[in-house]
Amino acid sequence: MSVSNMPALQLREYLERLPGTTFRKLYQQPSTAFAIFRRMLPHLAKTFVMRMLFMPAPMLLADLDIWVKPDAKKQKDQALFILQALHIVHISPPSREKPQEMQLTTNFKNSMRRALTGGGTHNSFGVPSTLVVPPEIDIPFLDRYARKKWEDILHFVVSSVGFKSAGEVSGPNKSVKELLIAGRLVERRPNGSIGITQTGFTFLLQEANAQVWTLLLLWLEAMETNKMAGLEAVDMLSFLFVLASMELGRAYDTNALTEQRRNMLPSLVDFGLIHVPHHKRSMFFPTRLATTLTSSGNSLRSISEGVAAATSAAFNGTSNSGGPPGHGPLKSSTELKGSVVVETNYRLYAYTSSTLQIAVLALFSKLNMRFPDMVAGRLTRASIRQAIQFGITADQIISYLAAHAHEQMHRTAALTNKPVLPPTVVDQIRLWQLENERMKTTGGFLFKDFEDQKEYLAVAQFAEEVGVLVWRNDKTGMFFASRHEQIRDLLRNRKKAE
Amino acid sequence: MDAVDVSDHYEVTTSEETPSLLSIVLDTNPRAWAALGNVLPLSKAIANILVFVNAHLAFSNSNQVAIIAAHVNRAVWLYPSPPTAKKPTDTSGDVQMQDASTSAPPGSANKFPQFAQIEAAVLASVRKLTDETTGEDLETTTTQLSGALTLALCHIHKASQQLSAAGTNLEDHTKSSAATNPMKGRILVISVSDSEPAQYIPTMNAVFAAAHSQIAIDTLSLSGDSTFLQQACFNTNGTFLAASNPQGLLTYLMFGLIADTEARQSLIPATHDKVDFRAACFCHGKVVDTGFICSICLSIFCEVPENTECLTCGTKLALGNYGAKPAVIPRKKKKKKKIVNGTVREDTGSGAGTPRA
Amino acid sequence: MPRAIRGVLIECDPSIKSIIVNIDSKNHDFIIEDLDEERVVVKENMVGELKRRLEDRLKENLPPVEESGSE
Repeated sequence: MSVSNMPALQLREYLERLPGTTFRKLYQQPSTAFAIFRRMLPHLAKTFVMRMLFMPAPMLLADLDIWVKPDAKKQKDQALFILQALHIVHISPPSREKPQEMQLTTNFKNSMRRALTGGGTHNSFGVPSTLVVPPEIDIPFLDRYARKKWEDILHFVVSSVGFKSAGEVSGPNKSVKELLIAGRLVERRPNGSIGITQTGFTFLLQEANAQVWTLLLLWLEAMETNKMAGLEAVDMLSFLFVLASMELGRAYDTNALTEQRRNMLPSLVDFGLIHVPHHKRSMFFPTRLATTLTSSGNSLRSISEGVAAATSAAFNGTSNSGGPPGHGPLKSSTELKGSVVVETNYRLYAYTSSTLQIAVLALFSKLNMRFPDMVAGRLTRASIRQAIQFGITADQIISYLAAHAHEQMHRTAALTNKPVLPPTVVDQIRLWQLENERMKTTGGFLFKDFEDQKEYLAVAQFAEEVGVLVWRNDKTGMFFASRHEQIRDLLRNRKKAE
Repeated sequence: MDAVDVSDHYEVTTSEETPSLLSIVLDTNPRAWAALGNVLPLSKAIANILVFVNAHLAFSNSNQVAIIAAHVNRAVWLYPSPPTAKKPTDTSGDVQMQDASTSAPPGSANKFPQFAQIEAAVLASVRKLTDETTGEDLETTTTQLSGALTLALCHIHKASQQLSAAGTNLEDHTKSSAATNPMKGRILVISVSDSEPAQYIPTMNAVFAAAHSQIAIDTLSLSGDSTFLQQACFNTNGTFLAASNPQGLLTYLMFGLIADTEARQSLIPATHDKVDFRAACFCHGKVVDTGFICSICLSIFCEVPENTECLTCGTKLALGNYGAKPAVIPRKKKKKKKIVNGTVREDTGSGAGTPRA
Repeated sequence: MPRAIRGVLIECDPSIKSIIVNIDSKNHDFIIEDLDEERVVVKENMVGELKRRLEDRLKENLPPVEESGSE
């Protein structure tokens, strides 16, 4: 599908694995229902939910067809599928007595209504702190703080690519490093240094929102395996959603949190999602990384930059270039979105001065010029092949370029109704990857020297049925199987039977 | 190797949700609301509207909302509050920390912070508005609709400009208006009073401007007779709903009007069949069924203007065969047609309508 | 009694296969069995080395890298 769905897919995969009972628990909190609504549903699905929200009785499934234009059927089906997968909607099974009905699941409906109307005593939007806020903690401070933490993490991952093995960089916290290793984003090489893995590349090339979620999901899964599973993860997840609905710049009370959640705070500080002032440990501030957890990935792009830049004079001096904006919006490398231009002659221009982003681009392109606010280079066969040797796939490169495509590319694409990246370039990157893929290897066992054709045929047949047969040649009486255990057992049995 | 031109395999598109700006024009004619008082008091209506606003904002982080009151003789901003009252709060939820005492009330743990802000702002503005209402205001039965529409349009335009200004402006803006709208805007009018004929021209101007910028105007008519709003919805591909049960305001809003511009492409709208295409004459502002039209500028008059000079463009008009039947095609004499300079104006009831922009 | 030999099955173009056979011809320490036009079974521990040598061969055959002088 399209690029910006990738983050949702990860979180969606995680959520779709949860059983219905977990969802029922999750949806007791209005902030969770609200967050999932905002983040996980396609547009049409959101419209459906809103329409059904204040309906007193279930509606007929057939009515849904009346609502939707015939040529939007695919979107409708997709919407329905997701709504069911996330246990937002309950559709009665088809039966002969009465037509299928559809309604929102009770917890979700109540929570959503409460979220819209306010009220209740669930405290699920975060209890604000009543203490005096230290004056130095304001929004730019929080942005800088979050940016630094996040860039440290990214630098750690990037610097583990072969050619940039620096010494001891003041990197992220040890626990974060362990988490990255456990999540197989980086790995310990035999010589003791840290090396990046393919998953690590995917991580690097994702957009910021997706990266935050990747890390959070890794952490959730790590915590799950450590302690008793189940309830813990659910509570942690709902706390993340609470964070997502908090106000940037407002202090919240630590004492109002349950103990479990208080234990989550140190890790969240390490990720840069919240800030706890040293001298006042009973309050915490969410950073922009946290409050934008449920935004669509691109709302972190020019939209929020634009709105923030234009309506709040405190944030910027210049509001025109798509290049490095002011200090306001979180300026981590992958959030200097919309700064890469790819031309049909394979030339690449990136309006960025972030060393991190330049390092990422250097992974797969040949950069030959650097200006104060821009780097220029080209995508060459050599550069792509080198990237492939590192383990990056063509798809990752293409996704990265698309995710960071400059505003101008998007505009031209929308105007001329063409795809964002030039298809020639996209094809060529894939072809260059294919060039290297000259052969396909399969490990396994070669079986030969059968007693007679009959035995060969029998065993080969068996291998095929079990699904391990890779190749066979009936004339020469040989076959290749990917696993041998079942065949070995079969042969042993046959021998015994003789 | 895949076929090189299976373009949906290689096409890399980014599907983001374009933010949507919902502008609500709330008709605050005191007399009309007083009449509705036992069925739907204004306070309850505002509460319902706020829930609707929250629903709209729930769709996406980047959605925005603007609320304008079309009062008796002026249009007043309810949200975002005008700068003199308090600092404008932008929709990213930022709240100035320093003056915590005077700005929005402390966030409640039970309310999404952005919703709480909007609610506070709107209630404060409405209170201020009602305080300022004088005795004479209570006499009139119409509202300053055109002013409110114009305000809404300007606001939408300004917001789109701000968003497109974020990226580098290499492209010609005139080209981009049709293609990449950084922001989709729509206007929802909640009407309780009649359309004032004298406002026909400014209202239609606003309507044509909206149609040109592809801004849909929806109407929810709770009471009163809103001729021009029907035309407005028709012209801008909006939805017109006449509520027979004003208490069900929230249901009308949530069911019929929640779909924004993007969703409407997939949904079949619930619309009004019959549109009242009556226009108002330019000389007196009376609503007319048949009248005279200047063939140069298409202004409508209820009677022959003095000196047979068009009031708008000044051309000297000649009355053609006044009252005569057209000779070319023999017809059964059904209705009397009035002819001015060859232009024929038919009775309107359905079918032929005001010329589209 | 049939034999089961551990190895890696390589599937490729005939041209690549002939290069592999050529590489093997020096010491015969790569290929276990030559199956057909497009497949060979190679010793598991030699696969890495084989790939390396194959890449070197292919690189030799690449057209010279054109650096267009203009920039």
